[in-house]
Amino acid sequence: MSLVVSRCICGLLCRQAVPPRLLLGEYFPGMQSPWFSPVVTLKTSAPLRAEPKKKKKVDPRREQMMRERLKKKLKKLERVPPELIPIEDFITPTKCLDETRKRIPPRLSFEESESRALLLKEWSQYKQKQHMAEVEAIEVALEAQREALEELKLESKELYQAALKPDPLLFPVTHEGPAYTPPIPNYEAPDGKYNDVTKVYTQ
Amino acid sequence: MAAPCRKMVSRSFPQLLTCFNRTAVGSAGCRRFSISPPGRATPQSNTAVERVTSPWTLMAAVCLQRLPVITADCSPIEQRFKQMMQQMELEKSLLSDHELRLMEDAERMSRKQGNEYDSDEEEGHGDQEIMLAQDLEDTWEQRFKSFQPAPRVRADLDKDLTSVQRCLADSLVLLAEQQVGAEKLWLLPQAAWQEGETLRQTAERALCSVTAADFKATFLGNAPCGVYKYKLPKAARTESSVGTKVFFFKAILADSAPGTAPNTALLWVKKSELQKYLKPAYMMKVDRFILSL
Repeated sequence: MSLVVSRCICGLLCRQAVPPRLLLGEYFPGMQSPWFSPVVTLKTSAPLRAEPKKKKKVDPRREQMMRERLKKKLKKLERVPPELIPIEDFITPTKCLDETRKRIPPRLSFEESESRALLLKEWSQYKQKQHMAEVEAIEVALEAQREALEELKLESKELYQAALKPDPLLFPVTHEGPAYTPPIPNYEAPDGKYNDVTKVYTQ
Repeated sequence: MAAPCRKMVSRSFPQLLTCFNRTAVGSAGCRRFSISPPGRATPQSNTAVERVTSPWTLMAAVCLQRLPVITADCSPIEQRFKQMMQQMELEKSLLSDHELRLMEDAERMSRKQGNEYDSDEEEGHGDQEIMLAQDLEDTWEQRFKSFQPAPRVRADLDKDLTSVQRCLADSLVLLAEQQVGAEKLWLLPQAAWQEGETLRQTAERALCSVTAADFKATFLGNAPCGVYKYKLPKAARTESSVGTKVFFFKAILADSAPGTAPNTALLWVKKSELQKYLKPAYMMKVDRFILSL
């Protein structure tokens, strides 16, 4: 009895299983049939595969614009502000911070330090006197010039005006200052050879 | 413009009468300017009148200075201070490369003379072993001694007052002996002013003519630096000449080129020696603008 029932049910199932097998063909990718195209591959349908692809005129311009935009971005990135040239005088070289270079500070006796302090005081007084003498001498010279110009004014207006005019040919004026020894007449200085190691910075 | 016109008119009013008695040239000159506004006509003729009849004769003189060529010697306090500063700066400084090298060499020498010395343990200072720092110092000393600088002080030249090379540490002023009136005096070279030139040009002319040698002088500006005026003795005074005004101009000797003519009496003197040669009143005025600092 149970065997007959199971055989009937199987038969029913088998009959019902046939149409689903046909439906299943749509969902299985491996199944190749001319009526059901698989979904995953490109939509290269028959009419599309026959003609060559058309290039639109807008494309090259679009590509050019894209290239320009990329170039502009690159330029913006490259536009770095120039590095400042370092001032060598303001950078303490590491040689000066070396510990091995320190001198042993000497011990000064009391008399020595006293004499140094007294000499500094004497020096400041001497220099002050020198400065006051200089200032006075300059004032006297200016007074002499003022008197001269007044006398000239009393004499003649034209000469006075000519005296007040600035001299355009005077500047630039150069004068060699005093050295320790006087110059040797007809001296030929020897050529000095040197290696120039100055650092040149370019921006 | 109106005020000076009035002043000049009032000053030269008694001389205006003399103006009308002049030759036709003067009156023609006055009539020529009558086209321009009257305010401008009168001052020109008035200044011409004024300059001609001014009682003072104008002269320009040049104060030519040869500036110091060498540095002056230090005074005692300056020397003491210099030594003290050098000592203090040495104490506060760091050791230099050369000093470090000297110390290293001395150490290495003492190690070499010691018993346990292994030259393989030395670091690679090949050059320093061949040429010690002391040897370098000796070679520098030799080079320094082989150079002979010119002597700072030459006693024979210092005594020669006519030489430009004397007393190189001080600034010198040029004096010339000129005939003034009846006598010969030592003065700064001067010349009389002529029409149509400025006083500075007169001074340049004075330098060329009195010294008779071409000194390369740089004149410092158009303005005079001092004035000396003297009145003639009462016997010699006339209406037109009461005295002389001498205006001084400063100049710097650019090139001490020798080659002065021997017959012209020229002297190069320091400021302290000026008193021996100049008259007292003249000296007082000249002393003010010659700076010897």
